[in-house]
Amino acid sequence: MMRSGKSPQVADAPFVAALVGFARALRDAGVTVGTGDVLTYCAAMDPLDPTDLADLYWGGRTTLICRHADLETYDEVFARYFLGEDLDAPDVLLRVHSTEQAFGVLNVPLTEPDEDLEQREEETSLGLTASDVDILKAKAFAACTEQERAALRRIMARIRLTPPRRQTRRTRPAPRGRTPDLRRTVRQSMRTGGDPLRLRWRTRRYRLRPLVLFLDVSGSMADYSRALMQFAYSARRAAAKVEVFCFGSRLTRITGQLQGRDPDAAIDQAARTVVDWDGGTRIGESLREFTRRWGRRGLARGAVVVICSDGLDRGDPEVLDSALDRLSRQCHRLVWVNPHLGDDPGFRAQSLGMMVAAPHVDKMLPGHDLRSLERLAALLPDLR
Amino acid sequence: MDYPRTVGELTDALRQCGYLADRGLSTALLVGMSLHRPVLLEGEVGVGKTEAAKAIATTYGKQLIRLQCYEGIDTNQALYEWDYTRQLLHIRALSEHQLADDRAVSALFGPEFLLERPLLAAVRAGSNAVLLIDEIDRADDEFEAFLLEVLSDFQISIPEVGTISADEPPLVILTSNRTRDLHDALKRRCLYHWIGYPSPERETAIVLARQPEIAETLARKVVAAVQHLRKMDLVKPPGVAETIDWARTLAFLGAQDLTEDLARDTLGAVVKDRDDLEMVHDAVREVTSGG
Repeated sequence: MMRSGKSPQVADAPFVAALVGFARALRDAGVTVGTGDVLTYCAAMDPLDPTDLADLYWGGRTTLICRHADLETYDEVFARYFLGEDLDAPDVLLRVHSTEQAFGVLNVPLTEPDEDLEQREEETSLGLTASDVDILKAKAFAACTEQERAALRRIMARIRLTPPRRQTRRTRPAPRGRTPDLRRTVRQSMRTGGDPLRLRWRTRRYRLRPLVLFLDVSGSMADYSRALMQFAYSARRAAAKVEVFCFGSRLTRITGQLQGRDPDAAIDQAARTVVDWDGGTRIGESLREFTRRWGRRGLARGAVVVICSDGLDRGDPEVLDSALDRLSRQCHRLVWVNPHLGDDPGFRAQSLGMMVAAPHVDKMLPGHDLRSLERLAALLPDLR
Repeated sequence: MDYPRTVGELTDALRQCGYLADRGLSTALLVGMSLHRPVLLEGEVGVGKTEAAKAIATTYGKQLIRLQCYEGIDTNQALYEWDYTRQLLHIRALSEHQLADDRAVSALFGPEFLLERPLLAAVRAGSNAVLLIDEIDRADDEFEAFLLEVLSDFQISIPEVGTISADEPPLVILTSNRTRDLHDALKRRCLYHWIGYPSPERETAIVLARQPEIAETLARKVVAAVQHLRKMDLVKPPGVAETIDWARTLAFLGAQDLTEDLARDTLGAVVKDRDDLEMVHDAVREVTSGG
């Protein structure tokens, strides 16, 4: 809402050029700065004193930046541009371990069905594609080839995750309801000369609960991490409000990375962000980090939280216990998906982490193949 | 009273009212006033985001119009609503007296049946008001989109009445606790300022400005203790509001110094989580030693 016709007194060309140059430097540093923001910055110098460094700094900070995360970059660029400080920041090299080596354990080309597959084909009349899909679904992620994984990805994209619904405080018109809809009743009564012949009603609306996913990407989970990432990606596309976090030795939020259209690019980018692929696991610390940084602000409030991990925690079990206790109180329901649980119903969680977690978790599920993930998707809507 | 022209004037005027704004906040507010742009204040809980709006309103004799956001807030609760019960009664009265001419009908949608809600009130009051949109992150995103529209041109169309617009828009201050990310479009429309925790000196000054009757030595000790608490790994670190509360509690008890025992008894004013309380109880000596 800029008033037109109010030309900034400071609008002499070299000065404006300096401000614009600063904005460009910010842009180069990765901050989104629109032309409108630059105009506001120049206009803001009118009530301020542009020769005063503090005004220059704060004026720019308040007009050009709109994210807390960008403040650090702003400070750096400001120092470099206006103060001539060349902060020779050391290039941070992120070490990304390739997870490829963990894959390709079993290399069976899909186009050449082996004996086992052929037999199945004879037994059923589903045809090659269907049985392929069937076998893929039951095949543990760890044993999949890159090709198969691509096929899984396509199937996964079709899994619709529907978290349970909850009543909101918003209302909508309904044939029957709890509160009378006075607005519609009055409208209606206009036609009948002011006699409210029929009462109209409103009822509460329903809304999907948010979903928060925690994916373990540490060494012991390396075989599953990529599959879980794909799962997270399709979840992100399917449900209304999904937050995705990765953890290993520490916690990283990757919700933003999974926003793109191209799953492979998104997953690669997320993989770059998560620097602790194949590092040690500190579940307790990571979850505590979440409860402090995000949980406290209400990110998990009313949400269904799904943790995908084998529970092999190298940290202090007490930390895990208290973090889970807090998390279970911050969220609505807590589900733990464990790939090592397998299909055996008699299998008991043996790792210390799982034993610590058991009392806090509402539901413990296997997550080693696509079928178990489908089971998770089927279970979600009923988590009232 | 008119808004100030320089950052210094604004800071001084706010100080008179007991609100100590730092350079960044004053700059953001001044630019917001001069360019008629909303100011979005973000920061930890209890650092004085809402207070800033209140202080501006008091200082410059403006009417503070507050729109408290909550989940499920919709346009009827933010803009305007017709007083349906009165309308119905009015219709009844009209038909009983056989008075249903055109004028009587148009009166049905006249100002006396219009219930003003904060946004309409703010548009009508124009520059005589400060509009505080509190905890915008609690409203759902549909509401945010609607708000964006109102904030962009400060006019409200009521089909039965016409368009109401503000000649000079009010100063708008939005606050958010970052429970979720706001839409970029809304952020772009606003000036952004992040309020952090103040330095010990500034926090002492704030406590003294708010509680003038408290001894400076005590204020200093309380602030040192709170600053220590913030460095501890607490689930809910205390904000400035808690510091003031604690100082007020101690002043009420007639305390001259923050001793270990007193701190233990009054911890509830600053630490509001059971786990945190346990942790602080164990470390009360370090907390009160002022280090």
